[in-house]
Amino acid sequence: MFTQLTSGNCMAAIADTEQGVLIGYKELCPHCLNMEKMLVKYSKTHPDISLFRLNIEESPDTFKELGGERPPTIFVIKNNSVVAQKAGLMNPKEMKAFYQRS
Amino acid sequence: MTAAIYAAQANINTILLEESTTGGLVNSTNLVLNFPSKKAVNGMSLMAEVREQVDALNVPVEEICEIEHLDLTGGVKIIETDEAVYEVRAVILATGRKPIELDPPMDCDQIHYCSICDGGVYEGKRVVVVGGGNSAFDESIYLLNIGIRHITMLEIMDDFIAAKTSQDNLFSTGKAVGKTGVKLAGIHQEDGRLKFVVVEHCKTGEKEQIDADGIFVFIGQKPSSRLFANHVNLDPQGYILADADMKTSVKGVFSAGDINQKTFRQITTAMSDGTIAALSAERYLRI
Repeated sequence: MFTQLTSGNCMAAIADTEQGVLIGYKELCPHCLNMEKMLVKYSKTHPDISLFRLNIEESPDTFKELGGERPPTIFVIKNNSVVAQKAGLMNPKEMKAFYQRS
Repeated sequence: MTAAIYAAQANINTILLEESTTGGLVNSTNLVLNFPSKKAVNGMSLMAEVREQVDALNVPVEEICEIEHLDLTGGVKIIETDEAVYEVRAVILATGRKPIELDPPMDCDQIHYCSICDGGVYEGKRVVVVGGGNSAFDESIYLLNIGIRHITMLEIMDDFIAAKTSQDNLFSTGKAVGKTGVKLAGIHQEDGRLKFVVVEHCKTGEKEQIDADGIFVFIGQKPSSRLFANHVNLDPQGYILADADMKTSVKGVFSAGDINQKTFRQITTAMSDGTIAALSAERYLRI
């Protein structure tokens, strides 16, 4: 479901993605788990959107480079670049609206 | 999840519907110390183990599930989610509790309710913790352990109600101070960043500023019972009134865990309730 990214391939993956969502997460973070499961549900109705995840404890510099501050942060990828980001919790409806207006 | 395990073991066709992710508030607990068989365990890890057991029993779990309609009145209960409509003969309500938020709400990105989730960003910074119970002190110790530079504890009552050992553990670090008889009266932000909080002394009305980069709020929990308010009997605080067999006021509807009116709310007592609720439901279905 998710493609795991690292500092080594994150930027290349973004540059290679037309439509996608990247979550910056850390282990043992309940809100991160919540958002990952929300994205899984969201992707059921949006199969054309690629899902990526980045462990911010293993790749803190990449997370900062993307503009992230705290987990979970959702990055919307459109036309090969990050166009929006949002930290915190969202439900699938809020995610849909966030993606559409990004 | 305990109720689902017992129900599945009793060969009851069971489905688990969860608004968020399985595990509830335990997921936000850094360290669980009183769980038999585990000397010390991270809450989320513990819940992951329980979930593995649920999955091993092939109980379907629908997470991030929005309940859109409930009809619990008849012999067949109808539960409509955003994905499906379920017609079942018995329901176990185990929706637990949620953190109480600041009242009045304050619009600030640096107000948090989960130290595990949001504490890391404040490494080397100063934070204010609102609350004076065990959760507030345990979470504050966790915050210091991950590198928060200084904590100011704010408690509206005249004394902290946390266990003395927890208070001693925190204040003996020399990195935390406590203020009682005070309330958070305001916040000041610059460019979307918290700069300081305004604290009001309840007796005198005197106000003071405390520099802070973030605020963590641990002022208790409230029952997640809004969905059932018109279906089963609740107490004035919103907790479900269930008997010793976890039966609610509606036939075929049982409830378990922190959502019930009770004195002690622990992981073990919630699991006990879940056990009883599932066994009661099994008996109800069999008779």
